[in-house]
Amino acid sequence: MMQMIDTLKTGILATVTALAMTATVMASPVPSAPMPEATEEFVEAGRGIYLRRCSFCHGLLGDGEGSAAKYLDPRPRDFTLGTFKFRTTHSGELPTDEDLFRTVSRGLVGTAMQSFDRDLIKNGLSEEERWQVISYIKTFAYEFEDPELDPVATGKVISLPSNPAPYDAETIARGAKVFEKAQCWSCHGKLGRGDGNKEFREDDWGFPIRIRNVTHPWKIKAGDKVEDIYMRFTSGISGTPMPSFVKTLKEDERWDLANYIKSLQHQLTSHQTLKARLVEGDLPEDPTDPIWNDAEPMDVRLAGQVVGAPRWQNPSIEMVTIQAVFNETDIAFRITWDDPFKDVVHDQTQEFNPAELTQVGGFNSYVEAIDMIPRDLETFRDSIALQFPVKSPSGTKKPHFFRGSSSGQVYLMVWKADQAEVGERGTEEGNARGWKQAIKPQPEDAQQVLGGAVWDQGRWTVVMKRPLQTGGRGDVQFEPGVFIPMALNAWDGSNGEHGLIMSLSTWYFVFLEAPTPNKIYIYAVLAFLITGGLGLWLTKKTINAKRDENAGV
Amino acid sequence: MMRRIGTFPIVVIVLVAVYAAAKWGIPAFSRQVTGLPFPLPVPGTLMLFYMTLAVIALFLMVTFSEEGLTDFLRPIRKLLSGGYGQIARGLVLLAVPAIAAWQVYELTVPRAQVPASLRIQHPSSNFPVSSEGLHNPFDEPPEDEINVFIEQARANEVIFDPQVQDDIDAWADEWDPDHILEFLAAAPVKEFLTQLENDEVSHDIAEAAYREKILFEGRALYAMNCRACHGDSVAGDGPMADGFKLRPINFTDNGTIETIVVGYTFWRVENGGPGLPTEATPWDSAMPEWKLSLTEEQRWKIIQAEYDLAEKTPRIPEGHE
Repeated sequence: MMQMIDTLKTGILATVTALAMTATVMASPVPSAPMPEATEEFVEAGRGIYLRRCSFCHGLLGDGEGSAAKYLDPRPRDFTLGTFKFRTTHSGELPTDEDLFRTVSRGLVGTAMQSFDRDLIKNGLSEEERWQVISYIKTFAYEFEDPELDPVATGKVISLPSNPAPYDAETIARGAKVFEKAQCWSCHGKLGRGDGNKEFREDDWGFPIRIRNVTHPWKIKAGDKVEDIYMRFTSGISGTPMPSFVKTLKEDERWDLANYIKSLQHQLTSHQTLKARLVEGDLPEDPTDPIWNDAEPMDVRLAGQVVGAPRWQNPSIEMVTIQAVFNETDIAFRITWDDPFKDVVHDQTQEFNPAELTQVGGFNSYVEAIDMIPRDLETFRDSIALQFPVKSPSGTKKPHFFRGSSSGQVYLMVWKADQAEVGERGTEEGNARGWKQAIKPQPEDAQQVLGGAVWDQGRWTVVMKRPLQTGGRGDVQFEPGVFIPMALNAWDGSNGEHGLIMSLSTWYFVFLEAPTPNKIYIYAVLAFLITGGLGLWLTKKTINAKRDENAGV
Repeated sequence: MMRRIGTFPIVVIVLVAVYAAAKWGIPAFSRQVTGLPFPLPVPGTLMLFYMTLAVIALFLMVTFSEEGLTDFLRPIRKLLSGGYGQIARGLVLLAVPAIAAWQVYELTVPRAQVPASLRIQHPSSNFPVSSEGLHNPFDEPPEDEINVFIEQARANEVIFDPQVQDDIDAWADEWDPDHILEFLAAAPVKEFLTQLENDEVSHDIAEAAYREKILFEGRALYAMNCRACHGDSVAGDGPMADGFKLRPINFTDNGTIETIVVGYTFWRVENGGPGLPTEATPWDSAMPEWKLSLTEEQRWKIIQAEYDLAEKTPRIPEGHE
């Protein structure tokens, strides 16, 4: 009997262990075995997969010129060059098979390259299929056939430190010193927002690139973990100004630096209602006023404007943080977002005419990533807009988040960097009924938004202040205790954004904290009195009973 | 050494134990059972059930006999008559009403809670009945369309959607192929090209090859127009997906495009968010009205490719001729 139980126990243990192991093996960007031999059938199978899954971006020739490529930034990789950004090999070397496997398996975050791992998406590729397509991709560049360029055989592979330092305050502090010493800030900016250098705006082939804002983990393409970050500045990123620091920094320094970079990553808030704080006295127009330190921030994610032509899928501003305070008469919003370049001029003659994109079927309705619009410095202004429904929504009904509709008018407060810069009114109030017509500014005498703006170290901070109640028929009226829908539009001028070429959010809410009504306190006091009275009555009764008892004895 | 525990402490201990088990025990245990990285929460109403049952059971136990009740009430009587001292009695007589007042305040104070927004995913209130029975014209292409394709292939002049032509031209310039369709690395196309060469074309193989051509165009059009949100594998994971509170649909999920007729998919692509009825919160949907930008033919090709990539088939219409 005991033996049977033991056998059973071993069996269960083995099953559980096996299950646990499958769970860890699942969705791994590391293959279970090296790449099989690339026989003719194997490569041909890869060619079929490539045609179905890859060719639309990477092109039938593997040159990164597929039908969808011209709309994408970053561009799809040109496989014929044999140059790959994300490797575990020394600068300028080819990637290992496992490097390609990792990229195909987990994709590149924030780009058009998503995961192809069958364990992550239901219609993904099995491990064998991934190897097949990799074997086909390798046929595009002759470099892969040259044994002298094989990074594994020639010992050009970088391994992770065998005994890495832990992620703690001490190593992070050491990493901050490395950040100084290696002058990472000269490109990435003192605070890591990618604002340190205005020159590096193109890669080796003239395609637009951006110096990474390392505080936004959702844009760290090859992974935001410490080991991923470590690998990036150890291997360098081919085709870009990002060098390898393998010769200038020691291994432990690089690991400390990776820990420091990891510590800079922003943690997104998850709530969808902005709580406006009730404050005493005047509201600040100054974005740096200490009053803002106590106002709860809400992060809002934005996407490119793809609802109507001209569509834009390469937005620059993907997160905006917003706060609000109010007093008895006014409300003020503070809007903060990262933008490495301060764009404070606007050249209307360079604006895009969307007429050619509005034809059905003839043209793609998306704006191309390069050539169609100038994505240069000193061309278009930076701008931000807050949008609210004019009428408080009845029930759940709202106007459409993209500029409302003919039956649901929206009200916008649009801040424009070029106007603010020359001392004109920065924020203009306007109305819209759908996206097909431009925002209609309100008449001069109805404009009443005050505020200020600061650009510092790759970050805009803008304040918009307005009376709670205006009486204007086109204005939103702010009232405590009501959930008011709120959405954002944002433009980064040096990313070519203007007009409908912008990023935007869907509906969130702003809620002005209402003071607790007095009756609530009365209810609580009544509860106290009733329970207390009951207690006293019981006490009295008990004492009386006891006295009677004693008297009875 | 064993001292008998009074009824009153037992009641208190049991109530605390039941509460703790429901509040923390069940969620902790559920993680062991399910193996999921998060606990299964115990709903508030279930909590109330458990506590009510515990109170009823304890009430029965206490009131089962006169002695039981007396035993239970003894510490309370002792406290109220001052048997534990004036200070203890005073504290309890203040604490209990204070807790009651606090609970009343917690229950009545207004809290900021986002208005609930119920959303019907596949609304049908304004779905035109005429669309219910629609077929994808590229699913079973008509005879003459396939014949046209065979003629085009024979003359080596296959016509593609203008939006994919550039890539095919570039490929042809580089490889100078015998036949333009050679880029389509799929078994039916290879077979079709061999048959063409031997001049013995089978209609079925030609149809299969034609479908491959349509799928290629559909996938390219999808990659150009839909991919940014719905992702390159139709898994709802495009680079912009996180920017929308209402996430782009993952078509590989069960319960999305396989539970609706293809005419419904077409209607959704055609009219987008603005075409939705109120119960489907059209104001939150970023789905464009694609009839403004894509031709009907392009839209059907995209839908054909979308089902193919998702490895799904649409629901068959009920009784529509």
